[in-house]
Amino acid sequence: MKLAADRLLGIVLTGLAAFIAVQALRLNVPISYDPVGPKAFPLGLAILLAMLSLVLVFKPGEDGQWPHRALTLKILLVLGVMLIYALLFTRLGFIITTLMTVAMLARIFDASWNRALITGVVMSVGSFFLFTDALGISLPGGYWLETWF
Amino acid sequence: MKINKAFHQYAGMLTLIGGALAAGNVHAQSEATECIAPAKPGGGYDLTCRLAANGLEETGMIDQPMAVSYMPGGIGAVAYNHVNGVRNDDPNLIVAASTGAAVNLALEKFGEYEADAVRWLGALGVDYGAIVVKDDAPWENLDELMEDLSDSPDDIAFGAGGTVGSQDWMKAALTAKSADIDPKSLNYVAFEGGGEALAALLGDHIQVFTGDLSELKSQLESGKIRVLASLSEERMEGPYADIPTAEEQGYDVQWPIWRGYYMGPNVDDEAYEAWAERLSELSKSDEFSQLREDRGLFPMSRFGDDFNDYVLEQVETFESLADEVGLKQ
Amino acid sequence: MFDFLIHGFGVALTPLNLGLAFLGALLGTMFGALPGIGPINGIAILMPLAYTLGLPAESALILLAAIYTGAEYGGRMSSILLNVPGDAGAVMTTLDGHPLAKKGLAGPALGLSAVSSFVGATIAILGLTLFAPLLAEVAVMFGPAEFFALMIFAFASMSVMMGKDPIKTAIGAVLGILIGTVGVDSSTGVMRYTFGMPELYDGIDFVVMIIGLFAISEILLMLEHANRQDDEDDIPPLGRVFISLKEVLACKGAMVRSGLIGFIIGILPGTGASVGGAVSYTTEKRISDKDGTFGTGDMRGLAAPEAANNASAAGSFVPMLTLGIPGSGTTAVLLGALMLYNITPGPMMFSERPEVAGGLIASLYIGNVVLLALNLPLAGVFARILTIPRWVLVPGIAILSFVGVYQLHSDLTAIFLMLIIGVFGYLLRKLGFSLAPVILGYVLGGLMEQNLRRALSASGGDIDILWRSGISIGLWIAAAALLVLPWLLPKLITKLQPSNRPMAQVEDD
Repeated sequence: MKLAADRLLGIVLTGLAAFIAVQALRLNVPISYDPVGPKAFPLGLAILLAMLSLVLVFKPGEDGQWPHRALTLKILLVLGVMLIYALLFTRLGFIITTLMTVAMLARIFDASWNRALITGVVMSVGSFFLFTDALGISLPGGYWLETWF
Repeated sequence: MKINKAFHQYAGMLTLIGGALAAGNVHAQSEATECIAPAKPGGGYDLTCRLAANGLEETGMIDQPMAVSYMPGGIGAVAYNHVNGVRNDDPNLIVAASTGAAVNLALEKFGEYEADAVRWLGALGVDYGAIVVKDDAPWENLDELMEDLSDSPDDIAFGAGGTVGSQDWMKAALTAKSADIDPKSLNYVAFEGGGEALAALLGDHIQVFTGDLSELKSQLESGKIRVLASLSEERMEGPYADIPTAEEQGYDVQWPIWRGYYMGPNVDDEAYEAWAERLSELSKSDEFSQLREDRGLFPMSRFGDDFNDYVLEQVETFESLADEVGLKQ
Repeated sequence: MFDFLIHGFGVALTPLNLGLAFLGALLGTMFGALPGIGPINGIAILMPLAYTLGLPAESALILLAAIYTGAEYGGRMSSILLNVPGDAGAVMTTLDGHPLAKKGLAGPALGLSAVSSFVGATIAILGLTLFAPLLAEVAVMFGPAEFFALMIFAFASMSVMMGKDPIKTAIGAVLGILIGTVGVDSSTGVMRYTFGMPELYDGIDFVVMIIGLFAISEILLMLEHANRQDDEDDIPPLGRVFISLKEVLACKGAMVRSGLIGFIIGILPGTGASVGGAVSYTTEKRISDKDGTFGTGDMRGLAAPEAANNASAAGSFVPMLTLGIPGSGTTAVLLGALMLYNITPGPMMFSERPEVAGGLIASLYIGNVVLLALNLPLAGVFARILTIPRWVLVPGIAILSFVGVYQLHSDLTAIFLMLIIGVFGYLLRKLGFSLAPVILGYVLGGLMEQNLRRALSASGGDIDILWRSGISIGLWIAAAALLVLPWLLPKLITKLQPSNRPMAQVEDD
């Protein structure tokens, strides 16, 4: 029997429910003024979640369309780009990281190298000044920039 | 490319207007001072940062406006860790703090770093706790309330804007304790912020609100509430002159809520002392005393090492208090 | 009696203040349109500027109020065009707004949302002018027990959204509620599911949640469309630009009803535009969705949350102006702004500072007219955002998401969390979940739990408190009716009317 996505989901969620319940039971409550306390709600929800998930395991819905290999790779690539963006955001500053990210994302969405780079430059510089000057939002300038301004 | 044109026009227009509005607004410049409010915009920490920022700017003690940035998370813990871990030697950075932060440090809610990890800089003002009931409540003074409370604790609900263990709760717990009532036997309702708790008091959903004097001004004027006691060392002036202290009524409870700042652990003495001097001078100026009054705060003057010792001592006191009221296991 | 208002219009109509209302409306629209940068941040950022510029109190307040209302208008833009809500109040706007844009009706959808925003806001401002002091009395009658009953009612009204896959809707809501339990328990101070990370103490931030769930997952989904070989609807057609009067009139019932609902919910301290939008949408779906077109681009499904979230925004001024109690995060910031000017809002404000109270209310009227005038003609321009190629649009959404979260937290953990939630949202959407129940569970669940526990703390554990007041009893009955009637009514009607006339016509107006 093929494992339907819903079945897998049901199993994962049941596990999650168990984890939530165990964590709730392990809470240490020094003082509580209400009889319900902080444990009851997550516990009740965990039980509800487990029951609903079991329905999913035994009565799965239609299996949706899942991305094929090339698309999965692209999705991971996009996530990777955004992860690197996040990691370098404060270190290298807004303009340079945004330039790289925009260019990479534009490339992944089928722009030519030229277009991607131009978009990157325009968007990173333009949005930096839009955010900082017009909207008064402070963004990481990146230490290497400070010598310039 | 029509859309590009439209976009550029729109962006250009905004840049222009915003630029005019934000004239003098700076981006990354190394000499600019910064205050981190360890919360979302609009809360008490935001106001604490603005107090320093506006005060220093109006008195001309800094030539560029002080930037205020927000670092919410963990009731201040995220900013505390950030200042200890990342920007630990920035001489231009101060972080807003209050009595609430001292309480959290005492309860070890700030993670690995302890109270003596940072350099406590000084306080620019102080607020005091207050025991508040509605105008038609049967109690005229703290004695009457405490008497009823020991007879039938279940009929009197306390409420305030913080969880068990927060400084708002401490006010209720300590007041009860001063009358030999176990804080655990109270009916205490935790709201999100003093505003909600005050609304609940006006709607008779709670009977006693343990709030702060500064947030009560408009309600006092309209006569909708009665303040049974202020938790200050002595009586306050102005609209609060008729409010007796808890001490006067024979209950040993004081709850000052200072609003101050700390700096990173590795900031050098020179910068630290310059800041302490700057704040101390600010607190003496007339312009500033008006600003402070506008925010409903009372004067407090502790700066530099004096303040550092004060906070550390306070945290120690809170630690033993937490033990006494049964907050630690 | 309305002296303060006449006085107020005198204040608000001076060239400076009129200009500020216009500027505020424009900036507010911009702030609202950027995902994650909502009215709270807009006001918090501009408040010190207004103060430093030395604007008088009433002018500053007029500017800030215009930003607030402008942001509520702007929030709809990315909801409709990109399926990414610009702020909390605009979550429900995605449900019918985005399908409309996909059909090529982005222009009319934006136009309609401007009109419904105007109608909703106008209803609320009229209510504010006429009944503010009275309503303030009603607002404080809502204590924890009443709020708990209100949340039960809200969940009951969500049952209409069960749709074709009730199990997945329910799972979505439960997951949303569970996400809401992360952080310090606001009663006992105990940490739940924080795993020792201070970044999680305050819970998972609403902005992180909606940006992750909607914006990041949308980027991943777009990848799929871009990659598809058989692309028939890669870029939706851009149809006509303006909304017709006939279409507006067809939504008048939805607008008025939702405006009233939104206003009432906005008045209550602690519930804001997100709850207002949710309850009005589900109510409207129950009343008008006879052909099951809600969720597929029904104009009424767009008009309802739009009217409601603007009405809520104006409604939250009631407790602030009359009691000095903020009804929402944004009014809390406004309250701070007033304190900066040494003005204490409250019952005395109308008599002591009539130019401030009146000027503010008058500026709300003016701001809304300005916003309508600004937004109707621009609908066509904004609709063209859809024709931007994906390789420009996607990086744009990514930048906005990052900046939106970063400026709120100045912290990378929040950004990682946003990415994780984005993947989670993508998987949910691929598995056939709708995101609305997740968000609603997240918003309503915490309110439900905390108010239940507050009520029981106040009563010392006595459960009677939950149905002690008339308001709670009314809400419980209404909730029960919502759950039972749809199931009971058809049976009753078929029994009473053997002719088997379809029930839809019975309540057709």
